[in-house]
Parts: sequence; structure tokens; C-alpha cells
Amino acid sequence: MAVMRNLLGKSGPKIVILVTSVFFLLPLLAMTRFAFQNIGVFDLSWSKAFDKWTFDIVSKPFEDQYFTDSLYLSFKIAIGTAALTLGLLIPTAIWVHLRVPKARVLIEFMTVLPYVIPAIALVAGIVVIKPHARWFLNSDLSLIPFYTVLALPFTYRAIDSGLRALELRTLVDASRNLGAGWIRTMVKVIVPNLRSAIISATFLTVAVALGEFTIANVLLKRTFPPFINEYRMREPRAGYALAVLSLLFTIFIFGLLSVALRSPSAKSHQNSTKSREMS
Amino acid sequence: MTSISFRGIRKTFGSTVALEALDLDLRPGELVSLLGPSGCGKTTALRIAAGFEIPDTGIVSLGDNDITRTPAHRRNMGMVFQSYSLFPNLTVAQNVDFGLRNRKVEKATRNSRVGEMLELVQLGELGKRYPHQLSGGQQQRVALARALAVQPEVLLLDEPLSALDAKVRSTLRDEIRRIQSELKTTTLFVTHDQDEALAISDRIGVMSNGRLEQLGTPEDVYLRPASPFVARFVGSINELPNINGAGKILVRPEDVTISANENELTMRGTITRVTFQGPVTIISVRVDITDQLVNVHAASGSIHAQVGDRVSLSVTPGRGIIEAA
Repeated sequence: MAVMRNLLGKSGPKIVILVTSVFFLLPLLAMTRFAFQNIGVFDLSWSKAFDKWTFDIVSKPFEDQYFTDSLYLSFKIAIGTAALTLGLLIPTAIWVHLRVPKARVLIEFMTVLPYVIPAIALVAGIVVIKPHARWFLNSDLSLIPFYTVLALPFTYRAIDSGLRALELRTLVDASRNLGAGWIRTMVKVIVPNLRSAIISATFLTVAVALGEFTIANVLLKRTFPPFINEYRMREPRAGYALAVLSLLFTIFIFGLLSVALRSPSAKSHQNSTKSREMS
Repeated sequence: MTSISFRGIRKTFGSTVALEALDLDLRPGELVSLLGPSGCGKTTALRIAAGFEIPDTGIVSLGDNDITRTPAHRRNMGMVFQSYSLFPNLTVAQNVDFGLRNRKVEKATRNSRVGEMLELVQLGELGKRYPHQLSGGQQQRVALARALAVQPEVLLLDEPLSALDAKVRSTLRDEIRRIQSELKTTTLFVTHDQDEALAISDRIGVMSNGRLEQLGTPEDVYLRPASPFVARFVGSINELPNINGAGKILVRPEDVTISANENELTMRGTITRVTFQGPVTIISVRVDITDQLVNVHAASGSIHAQVGDRVSLSVTPGRGIIEAA
């Protein structure tokens, strides 16, 4: 390691960033050229990198009869997933922090399992229960609980770190001492101070729900990712154009996230935590 | 003005006994401090009063009402915490207003009460600021205003000054006493700082290992400690051999007299250090018979003492307590 560090010197980190960027951006660039350059695949050489770019193809997926339906379904599921995630996670995380802090390690371990166990294993389980739960699995919204589980590794961490940054017990005690019951304490004191954590968890949940393919495909739900996959087979160039757009949309969502987290009230909370730490 | 009393309170956490048979009565309008080292049970007693903990046995009464199992949000008590407990998402005025809203007080009354309370803690101009825009001392003043705004029957103060620097601490301590005397709110004040307890309290309860060792006025606790623990914990103490019998005499430095004359009731020793501290000079004497150091407080200028001088020490009659061997 030390030898490597000497060899790379001060420009080491820059080289790592450059190599990583090339690794990720090159396939994306290739996909973008394939989608938006009106040139045959065998002619996509470096010399023609700037020839015949056209964005007319962008409008094509929008004309497909399933585009709006699948996008609408994905958004519906994303919103449902975010609601279920926050509804379950916030009270649970608060309960764990206040009442059973020793169980935090166990909960952390459990929440990381969906990350460790591949989605296909979850699907195998779903297939087993399918004959007994058709009434449930036939509904498109049956994806919501599965996506809630899939998003747990990200969402729990977001909420947990938000709670760690608060002096939770003191705030809860202060609120209750001032006459607020548990619900009012949650709504007026805890949730507003978890704003950044909740925004992060929500965006992460939406990103998972909008991008998940395996479970939706196996359960034959026509959400947006299976639609892109199927459409790409029918219309390769327009399909990849749609994939690029979907990627840009996700980047836009995360851009929004970082802007939201830098808003004045989020800043004020960060400052107040900092001032408490300093005093 | 309401009284609050603890009767036979016992509280355990797992195998740890936090409180053992605590009996304590606060008279209406009185400020009582619970003083003791970390882990002595003083904060547990306060949290039981607030309703955050339920005792294993015993009864907590507010006036004539048993409130042992009344939930925290249904007790009319105001509390100030050690760490700044202001809600970061609310302004100073909204923080003070929080308890009033919970009690569904009319808006006009709420507004005037918030203004009054902020004036009381001398922060009338800062209502629109957020907690992070205030200093530590200001935040604790707001916390005090917030606790008092609901006109609590009992005010609970959980080491409210310990996070502040010395100068702010002393100012706010006097402020708390002024406000408490003005409003005559029965107050339970928890601290590990003896100077704070001595300066602010009508009575002090000294606690150790979950038990109340002594409950008395600051003078009682300082001048007439009920046990060796109280003598050692409150103020400085010297341990002298009991020349009239077994055990040791625990005596305050100011209750030891230093002189050149020797008789059968005095102990001889050699001065090892003289420390000038403004109004008081601390003279350290190594006693011959036990080879222990004894500190003597003398009014500066009253004694000419030099390191190496041979002197006699005697205890002011009626002072000090004997600790059995």
C-alpha cells in the first residue's frame, strides 16, 4: 500500500477518480451514442463521435400505450413504499432508540439482510407462498411490502443516523413534560427534527421502487423497469434512449435530495446539533 | 404552591438499586436540592417526580394526590434538563408556547404569557430566534421560561447549570433563585456541585448509594453533617486522630485553630506549605503522631506562618464529627 501511495503521489486520488469515472461513464456514453446517434452500430467509431446526433427518438417511447401506465404504476408503488417504509420505520427506530437501545445491533443486522440476500432469493420465497396468497399477489400493489424490505438497508440507516444526531431522549422527555402525548411528540417534535433523514429515506425508497426489476418481472407486474426491458427488445434505440432518460431522472432526484438537505431549516438543524456538540 | 412528597420509594434497574426507601417532603414554595455523586440516585428521584420512571415500590404525592402512576404528560410539572432541550425546529417563542398549546390555552393568553416569561428571563427581544442562534446560557434561560410558562405545580431542575461555563453558571444560578423566590414555585434541584446547592437551596438532601444521608438547611449540612459521608462530600474536611478515644475526628479546615502554645488537647506538627488565596490563607501542617497533612484556613494577615514552623493544632469546641474506627 505504502509503495503504491509513493508511486501515485499526490495525484493518486485523482487517478483513482478518473479510472472509476471512465469505468462507469464509458458504457453509459456508449449507450447514449447508440440511442441518440442515427448511425449504424458498426459505424460508431471515434471519428464519428459528433455526427448525426438526434433527439427525435426521445418522443417515441412516450407514444407507446404501456409507457404511461407502467410509469404511473411505478410511481404509485414508489409512493406506497415510501409511506409504508416511513410509517413502519420511524416509530420502530424511535422505539428501539428509547426503549431497547441494546437491540440496535440486531436491528441493524436484520435490515442489512435484504442487501446481502439477492432479490431472486426473495422471489423464490414469494413463489412458494404464491398459491396461498393469490388474492394478495394478484394486486399490483403487492409489490409495496417487498420493496419496503428491499429498501430497508438504505432507509433504516438514514433514519437511524438522523436519530443519533438528535438528543432524542431529552427531546421526548421535554415534550412529554410539557404536556404532549406520544402522537403529538412524534408529529411536532421528532418528525420535524428528522426532516433530512426522512427526505433521504424517501428518495432512497423511491429510487429503489422505480428501479427494481427482478421481483416485478417474476410476478408479471408491468412496472417501469420491466416495461423498459420489454420495450428495448421491440425498439432497441428508443429503449436505450428511455433507459438514459430514466437514469437522468434518477440523477435529478438525487440532485433534488442534496438541494433539499441544504435548505435553510436543514442547515439550522445541523448547526444546532453542531453548537450542542461544541458547548 | 404545592407540596410534593416521596414515601418509601425504591427503584431498581436490573440488579442495580438506584433508590432505596427514599422519604422526602418538599414544602410548598420551597427549593430543595438533591446533592450527591454520580450514580447516587438523585436524577432517578427527579425522573420519578417527573413521571419518566415508575418506582418499584412507594408513593409520590402532589399535595394530597397520589401521582405515582400518572403519565408524565398529565402531571403539571416543569422541567429543565442538563443538556439544552429546546426543540431545534421551533423559535424561542414557539418553544415557550409549546406547553401552553398542549394545554389548549387561548391564543391571547398564550401570547401574553410567552412575552411575560421571556421578560422574566430577560430575553424579551429574542423570541424570533432559533435555539442554535443562542448561547448556552440563553438556551437554558429559554428552557427555564418554557418550564415556567405552564405555571407548574413543581419545578424540576436536572443539573441545569452543569453544561455552562463558570461565569454564566453563577449568574444563572442567582437568576434561578430570584425567579423561584418571586414565583414561589416548589422546586426540586438536582446537582453534584456543592457550591450550587449551598448557595441556592432552602434545604439540601445529600444522597449516597440510593439513600438520603441527610436532609437539612445548608448550614446544617455544612456545619453539622449527619454522617462521615456528608462531612466528606460537602466542603473540605480534615481527618485528625481522636486524642480522647478511638476513631477519627472529621473537621472543617476553618474549625482548626493554629497556635504556638502547646497543651494536652493540642497536636503538634510542622508547617509544610502556605497558600495565599486572597481573603483566606491555607496552611498545611504535617501532624507528628499520624504523619497526616491537615489544612487550616486562617484569615489572611491574622497569622504569620512560614514553612518549617512548629505549631499546635486544636479543634474548635463543638465542631467536627467522630468517625468510629
